[in-house]
Amino acid sequence: MLKNITALLSLLILVAACKKKDPDPQPADSYLKITVQPTYSNLGQQNIQLDTVYTTSEGYKVKFTDIKFYLTKLKNGSVNLLESAYFDYRETGLLLAKVKGDYMQFPNLQGYIGVDSLLNHSDPSEFPNDSPLNISNAGSMHWGWNTGYIFINLEGKVDTIPNDGIANFDHNFSFHIGTDSYRRDFDFTNINWQTASANEKVFSLKLDLWTFLHNPSNPIDLKTQFLTHTGSGQQALTEKVTTNFKQSLISY
Amino acid sequence: MKYLVYLFLLIVLIFSCRKDRVGYKATPYVLEIPSHFPDMIIPSDNPMTVEGVELGRFLFYEKKLSGDNTMSCASCHMPNNSFSDPNQYSTGIDGIQGKRQSMALINMGWEDFFFWDGRKTTLEAQIIDPIIDPIEMHETWKNVVSKLNQDMNYRNRFFRAFGEEGIDSLKAAKAIAQFIRTMISGQSKYDVMYKFENGMSLTATEQAIFQTIDPEEWAGYDLFKSLNGADCFHCHNGPLMRVKKFSNNGLLPNSFNDLGRAAVTNNPEDNYKFKVPTLRNIALTAPYMHDGRFATLDEVIEHYSSGIHMSPTIDPLIEFGSQGGVQLDAQEKYLLKKFLLTLTDQNFITNPNFKDPH
Repeated sequence: MLKNITALLSLLILVAACKKKDPDPQPADSYLKITVQPTYSNLGQQNIQLDTVYTTSEGYKVKFTDIKFYLTKLKNGSVNLLESAYFDYRETGLLLAKVKGDYMQFPNLQGYIGVDSLLNHSDPSEFPNDSPLNISNAGSMHWGWNTGYIFINLEGKVDTIPNDGIANFDHNFSFHIGTDSYRRDFDFTNINWQTASANEKVFSLKLDLWTFLHNPSNPIDLKTQFLTHTGSGQQALTEKVTTNFKQSLISY
Repeated sequence: MKYLVYLFLLIVLIFSCRKDRVGYKATPYVLEIPSHFPDMIIPSDNPMTVEGVELGRFLFYEKKLSGDNTMSCASCHMPNNSFSDPNQYSTGIDGIQGKRQSMALINMGWEDFFFWDGRKTTLEAQIIDPIIDPIEMHETWKNVVSKLNQDMNYRNRFFRAFGEEGIDSLKAAKAIAQFIRTMISGQSKYDVMYKFENGMSLTATEQAIFQTIDPEEWAGYDLFKSLNGADCFHCHNGPLMRVKKFSNNGLLPNSFNDLGRAAVTNNPEDNYKFKVPTLRNIALTAPYMHDGRFATLDEVIEHYSSGIHMSPTIDPLIEFGSQGGVQLDAQEKYLLKKFLLTLTDQNFITNPNFKDPH
């Protein structure tokens, strides 16, 4: 009897021991993260917060209420990194993009500030659900007709009479840049990828809004230059915003 | 050997005593998403099923969900009004009026925030509230479940929808959410205009509709999206005819001093901001604004034309606010209204699948 039970137990142990061996653990994926820190450099690299009051060189009080933009076709030469990336300071903070990749392949990074022409005129509902260009994610950054996406969206409020004792901020500014002709290249070289963790490297950019407003050769006076939606008759300010934005987006 | 046989029989007996599971596998529901719409993201814990949608439809029109069995969801979201309330404020079972206008239920499956102040972030969570709100249906979910449990039809419908016995508030909310997600509006004249403008191919039916769009409607559309015209598109564009944001659109605070989004976030920067609603079926969803203050589309147009009230949190995109609005003349107002009427989708309000099944 004891022999039978022993045999049965042995059989059970044998069956259990035949369980498939777990596969060897795979090496973890490496991620590349790109962040953008909005700053106001005349205050010593001060990081900008939305809805917070800053002062322009003209003495105006200014609050930024929205900072959004697209970068597309991010690559190093022939090595592609990412089709599109979307920065929305209010919704997603500093994060521009996080993607699988090997930082060694991206000592330099080129692409567009704005949306590549082909993408810009595609059906915005057809992009994958996790694409920043999908209309569900783009939201107000798509114009709703064939002009495509808003590439750069900077909005805020200004008090242009700051010393009257009334902080009314009743003067809005709104810079909406789009259309193919205002897409610009970017080219970041000798990127210093910082180690965030064992599997994550970070490239930090900053968007310096002091430089944006006070570019020595191209200053923007928010009292008189407060509105462009890339419309006809707005080319001068559109060009100025586009140029200044590009020069303000730099390695941190 | 005999003992071994006994042991084997014992094992067989133990396994044979396991309680039988009587299950029902619900039928997946395939949503008909218009070709120019983005995908609808369905929550993983509430997949769409034919049985779930059907149950949700019954519950949507079920008056047992209210304290005195006189009100259903449809009482304040009426089909003929594109599932909104023609009254300025909805009145609950105790005769108490709310302080906001009932929002129209159109394309809700694409929304991320619910109620005018966005205090709920899922459709399922939103559905829980009106049943227990003392100024609305004023009932407890415990009572609702009890009432539904007394009805064999509901017991069966819940079983078929969720594959297990039992009724509870979460299942009820999930079923209603499934039904509401089927309520898709995408067959208006505007949809044809949008597809044409974006270079998308038109079906034969849409081609026929395209031929009926008159020059005044196109002119109204141009005004709608013109910066120097009505300038509406910043907040209302795309296939869903709205952007996802909360906005202060220059209304004078009402007598309740309703702070809107700020009451949820406690951030004064959000004072008087409310969810931007879709303009779909706008001709059917009067009265307008969060408090239903405007009875007609003409009043709405007049507000944006000359009635803007400036305040610290006004949307920066109300670009002509400092001069009272966009200053449309009579002809422009007429054309803009003509365009707004193209947003009406008759197929949506006459869809038999959205009607009361009782």
